[in-house]
Amino acid sequence: MFDMILFELRDIVGKEYVSIREADREVYSVDYFWLPEMCHDRQDRSNITRPMADFIVHPADAEEVSKILRIANNYKIHVTAWGGGSGSQGGALPVFGGIIVDTKRMDKIYNIDEKSMTVEVGTGIIHDILESELKQRGFSTMHDPGSARCATVGGFIAHRGTGVLSTKYGKIEDMIVNMEVVLPTGDIIRTLTVPKTACGPDLNQIFVGAEGTLGIVTKVTLTIHRLPEKRAFRAFVFKDLETGLRVGRRLVAENLQPSVIRLYSEDETKEVIKKVLGIEKNGAYMVYGFDGNNEMVDLQLKYAYAIAMEEGGEDLGPDLGAQWYENRYKFFFPPYMYRLPQLFGTLDTVASYSDIQNVYNAMKDVVEKKYPMARFIGHFSHWFPWGAMLYGRFIIDTPPDDPHEAIHLHNSIWNDGLRAAMAAGGVLNEHHGIGLKLSRLTPELYGNAFQVLRNIKTTLDPNSIMNPGKLGFGL
Amino acid sequence: MKITEKELNTIHACRYCPMCRHSCPSEFINYRESDTPRGRAMLLYSVYKGGKPFEASTIDAIYNCFLCGACKSWCEGQELGGYDIPELIKFARRDIVAQGLAPQSVIAIRNAVLQHDNTFGIDKSLSYTATVQEKPAPVLYLLGEGVNFRYPEIAQAFTQILDHCGENYTLLKDEPTSGKELDLLGYRQEAQEKAMALLKRIQLTGCTTIVVSDPLTYDALKNDYPVWGTAFEGEVLHVSEYLLRVIQSGAVRLSPYRGKVTLADSEFLGRFNKVYDAPREVIAAVPGVEVVEMQWNREYMQSAGEAALTFDDRAFDRGKDLGEKISTKAVEAHADTIVVLSATAKQHIAMTTDLSVVDIAEFVNAHIVTNN
Repeated sequence: MFDMILFELRDIVGKEYVSIREADREVYSVDYFWLPEMCHDRQDRSNITRPMADFIVHPADAEEVSKILRIANNYKIHVTAWGGGSGSQGGALPVFGGIIVDTKRMDKIYNIDEKSMTVEVGTGIIHDILESELKQRGFSTMHDPGSARCATVGGFIAHRGTGVLSTKYGKIEDMIVNMEVVLPTGDIIRTLTVPKTACGPDLNQIFVGAEGTLGIVTKVTLTIHRLPEKRAFRAFVFKDLETGLRVGRRLVAENLQPSVIRLYSEDETKEVIKKVLGIEKNGAYMVYGFDGNNEMVDLQLKYAYAIAMEEGGEDLGPDLGAQWYENRYKFFFPPYMYRLPQLFGTLDTVASYSDIQNVYNAMKDVVEKKYPMARFIGHFSHWFPWGAMLYGRFIIDTPPDDPHEAIHLHNSIWNDGLRAAMAAGGVLNEHHGIGLKLSRLTPELYGNAFQVLRNIKTTLDPNSIMNPGKLGFGL
Repeated sequence: MKITEKELNTIHACRYCPMCRHSCPSEFINYRESDTPRGRAMLLYSVYKGGKPFEASTIDAIYNCFLCGACKSWCEGQELGGYDIPELIKFARRDIVAQGLAPQSVIAIRNAVLQHDNTFGIDKSLSYTATVQEKPAPVLYLLGEGVNFRYPEIAQAFTQILDHCGENYTLLKDEPTSGKELDLLGYRQEAQEKAMALLKRIQLTGCTTIVVSDPLTYDALKNDYPVWGTAFEGEVLHVSEYLLRVIQSGAVRLSPYRGKVTLADSEFLGRFNKVYDAPREVIAAVPGVEVVEMQWNREYMQSAGEAALTFDDRAFDRGKDLGEKISTKAVEAHADTIVVLSATAKQHIAMTTDLSVVDIAEFVNAHIVTNN
């Protein structure tokens, strides 16, 4: 049957776009999730294996995706979508084998509509390539994540991604105008031409964040913006995190419309800011930024400065703020990024302003008390009218040698950290997604409401072929 | 082969973040994860740390690498002690060859070089240098295979410039290969033998300066030969560096050209030898020229496939797209002329655009003020 299915897949996309090669199966078994990376890293001293796909397929368009899914339904083969493979949650891992649908051939820029300020693209486009093309014309999506150089637009949609400028421009779900989606059955649909309607539930939002469990998004129309005349920053240090959180909240609540607010806990200020930017200060480091028309930005900066000074901030000036922005990707590369053999994770969550400090304290408390070998740092990078996102991190420099022990420890910290967050008013995740990593906790997060997601899944994917083991859906 | 400390450093330095993906030309062609710098580092990790034997698809991925070094330019993880994927790939290829595992396509290229002194397998009698009258001279012009076998007009342009300057120069009859291509494919010993043979021919000319059209030959003479014990004791210049010298000395005067000209940087001249400024100064020396930069230039240049040896002309169908990536950026920069620094770049870019695509020697020769 292997050869028969292989033939059918080749018949759809062409022989050169179906791989069963060992090299591909190996490389497609490791995304940016710590767990498969650790397994790969320790292959010289352990026998732990990683699940691999049976087939890797590169379709050119929605019609080919549709045919692939019809075959998968016919033979009950699992299908996992893979964009950039840069997700940290294991969302693109083929944990039960089957077919990987690599979306990167669907990488065209179809239309830049300067009147409507939108761009239509294939979801397999690497985001940095899209941004480079838009920049040549004086535009940007203003979606600026650290993964821009390796992630696809489809990946952002799958896990509800965000970027550095989200406080002003929103998360990816705020940027979607319409989408083309291939349902698990192979049917191709388009959502409504525009998003802000009174025509029933927003179909876009059913698929955004579904992590490939409800179908594969093949095209998307996104909003774009003119490149701003000015983008300027300023850096401050506040005496403590509580003060920094209050400043951030005021910057948003007083309608100053910052594009960036980045606040680091005292610990992260000491550990990361010093390492990456060379700034050594006690307290909570903050950068804020504004962009737009020259005069508007100057006015916004003026009001923001007044707030910061009123709250007792130590002004580090505009240059250090700009330096942070210029080096914003540097944090994601080795040696600044935590890396194997360390055991680490980003316990990102989001909560209301009333709860967020408690969420931070609760996570920090449980990680540091229950896991004394771990340290906890955090920063707040995405701000909303109602709350803020916490980028909490735990790091263990020397995890257990035995990979199974290491996985158990890894999962335990995640469980404890996120249960503490949920108990204090937070949620499982803000923009990295659920994937494999947090799948087991998803029914717990939603409680009785999980049945809504479960019923949608059952209806759209009756054979349960799409991305099994993720988002709490099991097999 | 026992892996060296240096190559192990690169394997350890790659920590799975796929931030190099967007820069890789072979991934752009094939879309495969195994055809990314990160993918290759992972595969070689499995071989050299995990003890897996080289198997066919891993070998394929290793030979698909363009060795362009784009990943080095974009990886900000250099501080971990050397993320040098091109050198790692070259080491792995030597190991693959040593184990007798080179693919047939690679063996065919090797055989072509050994027999005909070029990767195309074209008989030497059809080369530009087949009819050259070799003589002792202080300046030797080496063409490289791309010019010698496919773009004689580049050699014609440059020799006209040399004549105009009154330079006492020679070419080598039936110019031998530098061995660079063999080394890039993993045949280090044979490359060194070719290097020795070329050096002997060079020495017979008594030249003190070699001027080179081909970036791979340039890189070999500058960086490989000294390490291989076949160092040329004199001066090695790329054509662009020679042109800058003769322009600055006044030996060459240039007529005005009111156009917008952009430079397609060379991977082997630029990334591996930091030759970025000389070609730009040559272009800018033409009165009236406006030098415009493409969006991706210097160390962030886009690859034209100078060392994409296993992507033959047929397989480079999508390589045409690589050329188009460059010509599209030239159009966006409002250039009317793209100046290139290698025959490979000319071949891959010219087929994708109506813009004028010329080697730097052709560009200068077209604007020389002659005594007539």
